[in-house]
Amino acid sequence: MGLIKKVPVYTENIPGGALVATSLEQVLNFGRAKSLWYLLFGTACCAIELMCTGASRYDFDRLGMIYRATPRQADLILTAGTITKKMAPRLRKLYDQMAEPRYVIAMGGCTINGGPFYYDSYSVEKGIDHIIPVDIYIPGCPPRPESLMEGCIHLQEVIRKQKLSDWQEK
Amino acid sequence: MTRDELKAYIESNFVGRMTLLESGKVEPMYEIKADDLIEVATKLRDDLELKFDFLCNMGGVDTRERLEVIYNIASTSKLHRLDFKVILGYDSPAVESICPVWPGANWYEREMYELYGIDILNHNDLRPLLLPEDWDQGHPMRKDWDAPDFVRMPEL
Repeated sequence: MGLIKKVPVYTENIPGGALVATSLEQVLNFGRAKSLWYLLFGTACCAIELMCTGASRYDFDRLGMIYRATPRQADLILTAGTITKKMAPRLRKLYDQMAEPRYVIAMGGCTINGGPFYYDSYSVEKGIDHIIPVDIYIPGCPPRPESLMEGCIHLQEVIRKQKLSDWQEK
Repeated sequence: MTRDELKAYIESNFVGRMTLLESGKVEPMYEIKADDLIEVATKLRDDLELKFDFLCNMGGVDTRERLEVIYNIASTSKLHRLDFKVILGYDSPAVESICPVWPGANWYEREMYELYGIDILNHNDLRPLLLPEDWDQGHPMRKDWDAPDFVRMPEL
């Protein structure tokens, strides 16, 4: 990091041009964190909050998050809504179709542990971490757009701290 | 036809085939024997005074003592409604498919078959409708149903 702090000093000394010195890791992580394209995957009322966050009042675009209608173009899957046992294999299939690096945000109580359907329900999966690995949990029923955005900013911070070797190990 | 006229008409035309039950609060509720179901239902539909041409709703009930299949029917031209039920025992419950009379019953019967385990005789397509395709944990709407990851609400 010492070199990065000195970069403005070096660029001032170069006449007629600018030079930026950084590491490949930081460039890649910056790109990944600032262009998190998420999969359009809404299965219940959380999707309404997700739509609201994507619309003009909260404006997901300013975090670099744009919805994608196909998992092959998405970096992030926001599980907005209840996942039933019938839906679980489909969710796994969507996750498997996404290209790495891929991230998962469990949005709302249903996806964390079944939420309001924990008791007396034969059809709701009790937590999507039985199906796919989860990076960030956002509690709420449903979470407000503010908490959804905070979760996404947390995920961006996690991505900024990643090492290149992390993905190779997996 | 008003409710009282309807009750009187059924009393005189369906002697011994439809038994009036006390449980009907809004609409009159009748009991029909399982082996007489299709004939009575056809007569209810084709009778020129009744003209019950619409099956509004249909479902199963588990009362812990017996299983019931409840049909709610209505007439779109005569503007009256009626409920009737078929009472079944727990050992091998089965009821005749009502699709020949009211074709809209098809999906209701599939749902009842998988959730209550009530066998539907002469139904053309009994694939699972709501449950997963590979479901092997029985009939979840039965009162005594249980599964490894099923959690009952604790008594408060």
